[in-house]
Order: sequence, then structure tokens, then C-alpha cells
Amino acid sequence: MKPDLDPAERPGSIYIHIPFCQNKCAYCAFNSYPAHHFDINGYLAALEKEIDAMSAHLLIRQKKIFSLFIGGGTPTIYSGRQLGRLIRSCRKLYHFTDRPEISVETNPNQIDMKTLIGLKEAGVNRLSIGIQSFAAPLLKRLSRTHTVEDGLKAIKLARNAGFDNINLDLMYGLPGQNVEDWRQTLETALTTSPEHLAIYELMVEKNTAFANLAAANKLELPNEDTIVHMEKMTLQFLQSAGFIRYEIANYARPGYECEHNINYWTNGTYLGLGAGAVSCLNNMRITNVSDPDQYRLLITNDKPPFAGVECLCRDARFRETVIMGLRMTGGVDMTDIESRFNLTLSDYYGSILQNFIARNLLEISGDHLRLTERSLPVANQILSELV
Amino acid sequence: MKNIRNFSIIAHIDHGKSTLADRLIQICNMVSDRQFKDQILDNMDIERERGITIKSQTFCLPYKAKDGKEYILNLVDTPGHVDFSYEVARALDSCEGALLLIDASQGIEAQTLANLFLAMESDLEIIPVINKIDLPSADPEAVALQIEEDLGLDGELIQQCSAKTGEGVDNILEAIVRYLPEPEGDPQEPLQALIFDANYDSFRGTVISCRIVNGRVKAGDTIVFMSNQAEYRVEEVGIFRLTREPVKELQAGEIGYILAGVKTVSDTRAGDTITLKQNPCSIALPDFKPIQQVVFSSIYPISTDDYEDLTAALEKLKLNDASLTFQKDSSSALGFGFRCGFLGLLHLEVVQERLEREFDIPIILTVPSVVYHFYLQDGTMKKIDNPAYFPDPAGIDRTEEPFIKATIHMPERYMGSVMNLCMERRGENTNYHYPMPGRIEFTCELPLAEVIYDFYDKLKSITQGYGSFDYELQDYRPSDLVKLDILVNGERVDALSQLVHRANSRARGLHACERLKEEIPRQMFKIAIQGAIGGTIISRTTISALRKDVTAKCYGGDISRKRKLLEKQKAGKKRMKTVGNVDIPQKAFLAVLKSDQG
Ligand SMILES: Nc1nc2c(ncn2[C@@H]2O[C@H](COP(=O)(O)OP(=O)(O)OP(=O)(O)O)[C@@H](O)[C@H]2O)c(=O)[nH]1
Ligand code: SF4
Ligand SMILES: [Mg+2]
Repeated sequence: MKPDLDPAERPGSIYIHIPFCQNKCAYCAFNSYPAHHFDINGYLAALEKEIDAMSAHLLIRQKKIFSLFIGGGTPTIYSGRQLGRLIRSCRKLYHFTDRPEISVETNPNQIDMKTLIGLKEAGVNRLSIGIQSFAAPLLKRLSRTHTVEDGLKAIKLARNAGFDNINLDLMYGLPGQNVEDWRQTLETALTTSPEHLAIYELMVEKNTAFANLAAANKLELPNEDTIVHMEKMTLQFLQSAGFIRYEIANYARPGYECEHNINYWTNGTYLGLGAGAVSCLNNMRITNVSDPDQYRLLITNDKPPFAGVECLCRDARFRETVIMGLRMTGGVDMTDIESRFNLTLSDYYGSILQNFIARNLLEISGDHLRLTERSLPVANQILSELV
Repeated sequence: MKNIRNFSIIAHIDHGKSTLADRLIQICNMVSDRQFKDQILDNMDIERERGITIKSQTFCLPYKAKDGKEYILNLVDTPGHVDFSYEVARALDSCEGALLLIDASQGIEAQTLANLFLAMESDLEIIPVINKIDLPSADPEAVALQIEEDLGLDGELIQQCSAKTGEGVDNILEAIVRYLPEPEGDPQEPLQALIFDANYDSFRGTVISCRIVNGRVKAGDTIVFMSNQAEYRVEEVGIFRLTREPVKELQAGEIGYILAGVKTVSDTRAGDTITLKQNPCSIALPDFKPIQQVVFSSIYPISTDDYEDLTAALEKLKLNDASLTFQKDSSSALGFGFRCGFLGLLHLEVVQERLEREFDIPIILTVPSVVYHFYLQDGTMKKIDNPAYFPDPAGIDRTEEPFIKATIHMPERYMGSVMNLCMERRGENTNYHYPMPGRIEFTCELPLAEVIYDFYDKLKSITQGYGSFDYELQDYRPSDLVKLDILVNGERVDALSQLVHRANSRARGLHACERLKEEIPRQMFKIAIQGAIGGTIISRTTISALRKDVTAKCYGGDISRKRKLLEKQKAGKKRMKTVGNVDIPQKAFLAVLKSDQG
């Protein structure tokens, strides 16, 4: 264990996973399950227990926590009171910084004023809403259970409850979607003045309803030209509306970048709690079992809920930190990474790096190394050489 | 002296040699049910995947015959595919007899004849065996007639069996001890052992497979390789079963192996004679007839760092594959490598796969070529198998290319389409007759170059797998050759050049461009692929630039998975050769020679 990999003074974050949703969306490959099949109160109790147990962990005990993120699934399947209790337990048991970022994910038809107030009172200051689209037929095709109106209403309620840092998740490249459809969704999104937008291209992932459709040739996705067009349009549109694209899929108004996610992209320290959650402590990455029942049973029987541990050597972790960091448009902080790993980027990669720079696929700006406008759309071509 | 019988099983491809070997091994109780698997002697991965035998394999069987005597039978299973006929030839030279297997539903096919002739050249006693009599379409009477009339073999000796069900296999064992001759040779004479095969064991050094012709050898003896006088002390001798089994001594008439800590790979050569330092023999046994390689291609390591390893790997592979030749070569696009000679395209693919699997070296093979004759203005003749040495066209008087005589056996109904295929391939002097009702033996003279260019694939597909094919080199005939170059983004890739007949050049140029377009993945820039003869562009395609390749999202939970995906992408790139800026996958180099369905 090399202390320089994970300086103690560098604060960490906590992620809590709620693996339940009202139903399963056709494209979804997240660790989430229809809630009615599960003992969700039992799960919450198990979570409380894990929160308690992990707070004593050597690697986390003296860490400052700057961010807490409750994601899913759909966390607001629970009431504001239940979630509030969870958050308070964390705040009691872990050492938070003065003004931690506390985020909760929700879906438009799984949120009401009472829950919002409950969250607000527990200190939640960032809300992330799974809007996905403002086009009714597309929502249907994605088998989302909410409507366009639900989406708009959820945002309005959140504003009224006092949330001043709202993220909307939006997707493009959907079956049957054209550039114009997408522009309209973006326009509608902007009418609600969000602080942050997470914008994903639809990926057909294994073991989803969409994967089956695709295998049967029944999924008609926009072609590459259209997607490229959508991406260009998105960037222009959001930039002119005052957003900064700070990561491949994330846009924010200045000052509203998501601290929690930046911690992932800088390969920092985090504790993951709940089914399927991943912790990264020192140079160890621990994954919890993904099945909620199994998770609950292990915890109630006082067994660790771990499914696997990955231990990367210094070089591998260095490379991983580089490729993660390059996802951010600001790039990787070379001084920081060199002091963490005691490795110099230019020495480590040598001519590969020089070559990319010469070809305008990477650039150095100040003490940051970053992808260029040209290489961002084909990032994997570069990252796969550096990994 | 022991009662020994040494015999090979020979046949056309798929007539059931390895399956018969299975039954013989089982009857002699040499394998437990737990260890048994079909075609147990096909132990290389490529053999099992492709369902064919590539290497000859020896197995020593103890057998108690009906006459009450104990016999030692050395069985050698051989490959049937024409590209591995050198394996058959060497196996035959270690035996006194052969079982010639013939599929009862197919009758005599191209390799039946070819292998029979090999056996006769080696002066072996032959027992014809009609196999697969269990098949509903079996016609043993018609095949028996063929054996007597077309092959001129003694009808009395014919055995019938089903290697699948085991029916008739006992009789074959009896026939072996009754009709096949005992080995001659004298254990008291000085040692003469013929090396017919070898392979490299990283712990024990070279494992030398040999037939003891005269004398005896045991651990502790000092042996001498007669061709180079290299001396080694024998550590172990033994026989071949499922694994190597050490024995005290090998003596005249036996087949077995010698381990003598031979770490210098080049000391051992198939065809050489081993004798003892004390009491050496006076003359070496006759060497194997050299074999003529017909297809040539260069092998380059994808990473130039692997050149040394590739050299060592080729030497070791050559030990176990005596039909492979190689010599140094270099290319401006690919660096240093080796020009290699093969017996055919399948042989070439097997070598490529073995280098990668057994030695873990990613390699590239350049477009295969045959040997052409170039008669120059100055009166000299140059043999050229490598497009890199294509002479200045102004200095060429005339050119010649090798022709083969192809023999194709097939059901009658495919005659028309096979004839067409041969005509498309510049075939001449076609001829046919009916060896069995409903079956045709078709012969045709074809340029060898046309045969290596996806002929097998085409023949197999138009005859739905029922066509069998054999060929022999015939002569050189006038040709009109040009060099087809491939330019990738304007840069000539010498490894993709080929010599082609002028009449086909345009079509081949187009084909090459199309195939490369399929094989080369899109990259960050547009790639132009052109076919050129001299300075003239005759075909072109472009591969459009890759416009997006980015992972949509990546958060804490899936960092490992996303990283692994990138690592996979990176590993894929390692199997590509960068020429200029363009990454060309390994497959692309051979693809230009393959048919569209590839
Ligand atoms: N029905 C039937 N099938 C058989 C018999 N003998 C072999 N086969 C089948 O024929 C196929 C080829 O058998 P192999 O033993 O691999 O043939 P081979 O002659 O060793 O082939 P190569 O080594 O590639 O030349 C296999 O599918 C066997 O199962 C038989 O007596 N009857
Ligand atoms: S709401 Fe989100 S997590 Fe739940 S099923 Fe749909 S996409 Fe998956
Ligand atoms: Mg076989």
C-alpha cells in the first residue's frame, strides 16, 4: 500500500444504491429491479446496518466526506422521511466537510412535495431527475412510466421546494428519433432552466429488452450521421445557452459541476453502500453483491456483502486515472497525477503521447492534458492506446 | 526377436482413419473409457477444431492374436488432406505395411490414389479396407470392384468394417498379423535409426521419433547424428502411447522415441540417420525424398520486438513440420521476417495458427504466391515467388507459370458447375470418366496460381462438400504476368503486392480493394485503397473516417468494466500492423486471396 496513491487529506465520497424502480425500462442495464418483488423495508434496514458497519472501517474512518449521492434505481421509491433518516445516519457516523454536496436521484412520477421537503430538510442540495425525453412517443418507446407533463411538473415542484441545483438526465439516439425531435427536447429542457444536464446516447446493452429487439432486427436506431449531427447540435445549442461541457456526457452552468462524479473521473476515494455498489479505497476496488435479497441476507447475518475485490498495481491505476481523467474536457491534472503516482505522463507514455499531440488528438493546456475537439467524438481510439 | 508389425492407416480425407485408430486402440485396451474421446489421436487444438488430422501419430499396441502369439503393433494414423502428404510419406517409410481405407459410400477418391502410390513407392504391403459399411448409402460390392479393377489390388485381401460401430475391426487385426510382413533388420548390427519426426519439449529438449532399422539403443548410449556428427548422450528411450512411455531399450524393427537432451534445435532433421558413437554404422539410411513447396508467403512478426522469438519458433516448428521451409526476408512496410514455403493454403493457415497458439507470436502473412519463371532480355531465367523481386518489365522477354493437373471426384450432378469453375480459372484439356455409377472423375489442367486463389473454397461450396480434389504439378506454360500493387493512403504496401495474370488483373485489383475495405476497420481519417499496375491505378475504394467511438457514460460503478472494454480494444489493435498511419489487421493480408464469403 502506497500512501501516495491516496493521500489522507484528500476527501472522499459516499454512494448509496437503491436498486428498486416502479418497473424496468426497456433499455436499462442498471442494477435495478421492479420494487414489488422485494422486501424494500428490509433492504433499507440492511443499508442502515452497512452504513453503521463501514463507518468503523480503517480506510474510511479518518476520511473527510465531501459528497453523498443516493442513486438507483429510483431512491424516491422510499419516503422523504425514510431517505432523510438514511442521510442523517451518514452525517452522524462519517466526518463530512462543512458544505457537502448531497444528491438524490429521482424519477418524474416518483416524487411529490412531501418527499421533496423531507429531502431538503435532511440536507439534500442537488436533485437529479430522470427525464430522458420530452417527446411522448419516445417516452413510451423507452417504456418509461411517466409523461411529458409529469416531467415538467416534477421540475416545477422541485423548484418550489427550494432546490436550486437540478440535473436532468436526457437521452438521444433513440429509436425513431430525428434531429428535430431531439432539438425540441433540449429546448423544452432549457425552458426549465436546469443547472446541470447529463446527456447520454442510447447504448443497447446486453440483457435488456432493447437488446432482444435489436437481435430480432426490430430496433431502428438513428444512423451514425444523424447521431453525429445530434451531438454537434447539442454542443452548440447548450454552449450558446451558457452551459459548459465539462465531461463527455455532462453539461453544467459554471459552478454547478457535479463534485461527486468528478471524484470518479479523478479516480478518488469513495465508499459504495448497497447492492452492487462499488467502493474504491486506497488501491482496492470492492464490489458488493448485486442481488438485493442476497445483499440483505448477508448483512442481516453479519457477513460482508462483498462479491469481488480488484487490486490494481500502481501502473495500472495510473493508466486508469489517466483514461478516466481524459473524459473531462479539462483533462487530467498532470501535476496532481504525478504527485499521486510518482510517475510522469511524458516519460510513461513517451512517443505515444507525443504522436497524439502532434496529430492534434491530445493537447496540453497549462498543467492539464486533454482531448481535443477533434478527438472527443472518437475518445476511445485514444483512450484504448493509453489504457 | 519380438513379433512386430508396423503399419500406417492411409486414405482420402474423412474416410475414417482416425476413427479406425480409435477402435484399434480400444480393442487392445490401451485407453480407459474415462480417457477416451473420438479421434483420440487428433490431439492438437487445430485438429480438433477442424475435425481433420494434420500430424501423423504413432501408437504402440500390444495384441494377442488368434494364433496365441503376442504381437506389438505400431499403428501410424496419417492425415488425408493433400497439403499434409509429406506427413504420410514419412510415416510410410517407417512401416512395412499400410491399411488403405476407402469409404464404402464414396469409393476411390483423389487422395486414395495419391496415397496408394506413395505406399507402393515405399514398397509396402497393402491391405485394402472398405470402411463405413454401416452407412445406408454404402455400396461395398461396387467399391470392392473398384479396388480390384482400378487399383489392381488383390480382392482376397479386402477387409470390410465400420470404424464407427466396430464391426469387422477384429478381422483387420488378424489380417495385419497374417498379411503384413515382419520388419527385417538385425539387432546385432550397428545402430541405424531413421528420424521420421521430432518435436520440441521445453524441459527435455528434442523428442526424436525414429524407426530402428538395425541395432539397438538404450539410455546411456552416445548417439551420433550422421548428417552433422553431433553427439548426444541418450537420457531415455521409449514408445508412443497416449503419452510417451519409457522402455529399457529400442531395437531393430521398433518405432519409438529418443530423448538425449538435444537443445540445439537445428541438430535434428527428419530423414537423418542416428547411429552409436561406439560401433557406428558405415552408411546412412536413404534420406526422405525432398518435397516441393508450392506456395510461398512471408511471415512477419506484428511487433518487430518479436523477431528473435519468431526465429526460434520457426526452428522449433520446422522440427515438427518437415515440409515447411523458411529463409530471411524483409519488407519496407513490415520490417524483417521470413519467406516461407508451404505445400498449400491449408498448410499455410495451419502454420500461422500454430505459430500463434504454440508460440504466442502475433504474425502477419503476406499474399501467397507460386513460383514464376521470368525469361529476361539478357537470356537469363529467374525463378521468382516473391512480388518484391518482380523484374523491370522492360527487361522481361517472356514469363511462365506452373500448371497442375487437377483430379476432381464428385457426384455427377455437379459436373456442369465444376466445369464452369475450371474454365473461369483458365483451365485446359478437361477430361472425365465414371469410376462408379453416378460418380465422375474429372481432370483438368489449371494454373497453380488460380488454384491457390480460393479454388478450394469455391469447389467445396459448389459441390456442397461432395467434391474432392487432388493435384500434381505438371509443367510451366507461357503466361503474361503483371505486378498488382496495393496503395493504402497513397503508400504502396509491399506485403500486399501480388503477381497476377494480365487478363485477370483488373478483377483481382477490384477484389483486393473490396476485401481490404471489409477487413480494415474504420479509423480516425479517411483511407483510400487503390490497386495499381505500374503507375496506373486500376481499382479504388475508400473507407470513410470513423466519426464516433466514445463510451456514453462512465461512473463509479462501472469504471472497471469500461476500462476492460478499452483494454480489449487495445488488444485488438495489437493484432494489427500499422502501415503509415493505417492499422491493418492480420486477416487482411490473406483476405485478398480469399473468396467473398471469406
Ligand atoms: N457412419 C460412419 N461414419 C464414420 C465411420 N468411420 C468414420 N466415420 C465418420 O467420418 C468422419 C471422419 O472420420 P475421421 O476418422 O476423422 O476421418 P479421417 O480419415 O481420420 O480424416 P482426416 O484425418 O482428416 O483425413 C467422422 O465424422 C467419423 O465419425 C464409419 O465406419 N461409419
Ligand atoms: S428508472 Fe432508471 S434505473 Fe429504473 S429501470 Fe428505468 S432506467 Fe433503469
Ligand atoms: Mg484423421
